[in-house]
Amino acid sequence: MSGLRVAVPKGAIFDDALTALEGAGLPADVIRQNGRRLVYREGGTEFIVSRPSDVPVFVEYGAADVGIVGKDVLEEHAFNVVELRDLGTGRCRMILAAPEKRAEDVRRAIEHAEVVRVATKFPDTARRYFERMGRQAEIIELHGSIELAPLVGLAECIVDLTATGTTLRENDLIVLDEISTSTARLICNRGAYRLRHQEISALADAMEGSSAPVG
Amino acid sequence: MDRETPRKFATTPGTRDVLPPESTRLLDVQSRIRERFRLFGFREVLTPALEYSEVIEEHGLRDASYKLFDQDNQMLLLRPEMTTPIARVVAQRLAGSPGPHKLSYVLPAYRRASVGRGQSAELYQAGVEVVGSASPREDAATIALLVDVLQSLGLKAPSDFAVVLGQSAFYSGYLRHVVPEAATPVAAALAAKDLVAVDALANGLPADAAAGVRGIPRLVGPATEGSVLEEAARFVVGEEARAALENLREILRHLEAHGALGAVILDLGLTGRHDYYTGAVYEAYASGLGFTIANGGRYDNLLKRFGNEMPATGFAIYLERLLSVLPEEGPRPLLVLVGGDVGGVETAADLRENGVPLLHLSEDLPPQAAAEYARSIDAPWISYPATGGVKLATADPPGEFAFMSPESVARMVLP
Repeated sequence: MSGLRVAVPKGAIFDDALTALEGAGLPADVIRQNGRRLVYREGGTEFIVSRPSDVPVFVEYGAADVGIVGKDVLEEHAFNVVELRDLGTGRCRMILAAPEKRAEDVRRAIEHAEVVRVATKFPDTARRYFERMGRQAEIIELHGSIELAPLVGLAECIVDLTATGTTLRENDLIVLDEISTSTARLICNRGAYRLRHQEISALADAMEGSSAPVG
Repeated sequence: MDRETPRKFATTPGTRDVLPPESTRLLDVQSRIRERFRLFGFREVLTPALEYSEVIEEHGLRDASYKLFDQDNQMLLLRPEMTTPIARVVAQRLAGSPGPHKLSYVLPAYRRASVGRGQSAELYQAGVEVVGSASPREDAATIALLVDVLQSLGLKAPSDFAVVLGQSAFYSGYLRHVVPEAATPVAAALAAKDLVAVDALANGLPADAAAGVRGIPRLVGPATEGSVLEEAARFVVGEEARAALENLREILRHLEAHGALGAVILDLGLTGRHDYYTGAVYEAYASGLGFTIANGGRYDNLLKRFGNEMPATGFAIYLERLLSVLPEEGPRPLLVLVGGDVGGVETAADLRENGVPLLHLSEDLPPQAAAEYARSIDAPWISYPATGGVKLATADPPGEFAFMSPESVARMVLP
């Protein structure tokens, strides 16, 4: 199993991704050893490290054969990639949250199909959520510190990802609804999936052993 | 302050001007593909870029189309692909003549591109359609033609490219027979290429049904090895899946006779990007490129809409993507002949008579300027008229001039 180029996400699921790759017999430890490089080669395998939301872009274009990325990223953009395996790690929830004091107002506004202002890093996910319920929202896309928006009146509520809920609690936000849950996925370029099927399915099978039980 | 170029002088998002040498390569590839299509008896058609919006039924394609209204307030669209227009042509214009109709096209299609995803709004395509035959032998013949075209352009199978072949009726037939109530969600999960969702749905099914739901989409491997078909045979239940597998076997038997089997990878999870595919379906991939360079398949129900029920099969090649994986070629022979008044005109005629591609500059440029001009148009040679021939030099790097007769220029310049 060599010659593959693997896209690894920085950030929250970085460590779990490395563990899963190592568990499948890939020499991913090389990435831990020297921190800041973007490309690593070891034993015929090439690793590239990128922002989580960019991992499926590298994979979709064939610049990487396989990659690891959270389901939340895949749901936000319809990437044309093959989703091979649920690694079970990096579990987090996509939630609708509002400041505790005004939570009831927001809940009522949504119930009455009033237009609520929602700040989020996931505009498509938020839009689909409100459309599915037949409710209306004005969506404000931000790129960081979403929790800030309702505190200063930019938005009434937020759609965001949370793992432990700590940041929400620290900012006096409470969860109004859970939109979906997300775990890390092994994804693959659709050309590579066919042209290099043996190596890639071997990798996917080896990763199954390392994945956490579903539940 | 610099004046900004008005935005409307740029090309619209997703479109571009194609300049030499790329345009030359594109046109060359088009003419070589035409040659192969003709060699296999396909006749080329032209259809209008504008169609009534009703012609295209598929949601994905309709959404991706540019739309406009005509003077009667009818909605028109720029054709997002060529298969449906050709189906319309055959149903409306050729229904009286005996089939099969073997038609080809080399035309651009138009799709709203998502900016930043590297997609073109104007896609140059070349393809064929065989309308009026349900035989798997025609599927095999069109796949073999696709392989022939790619090979004739210098790509080698399986190192440079492969055609991935599936049979969309095999999995759907299995699902409808074994787990009819789960068939729709499972097929939708597979169409989204989400094997995790397929597995999750399989977990809720009886064990023997789940094995096929999980297993069939994972049957992938070279067509030259029998293992994929053997594995697939284990999952045959019901008439539909049995017929689909038999159909696939017949295609493979003929692909072998065409000598194209080595370029084919089987994938029983491949169901095709368009809803109109009903049987054999295939996509061509080049190594290192994430996108398909061609796709095709059988669409037996598409013509029904145009009032003429006829089975059909065909493929489209995406020419820009194909160009990006073709081996680089050196500059073409081209000679810049500089000045020389009427003597220069006569020399130019003489050289062209000898088959030398030649650009005559009527102004008398000095050698340095002539060489610079030649380099700007990728011409490897510059020359000046001389008695009984020309003085010839290379343009890049600028070389020494040497006298040559028209015949020896031809030997020197032509490959």
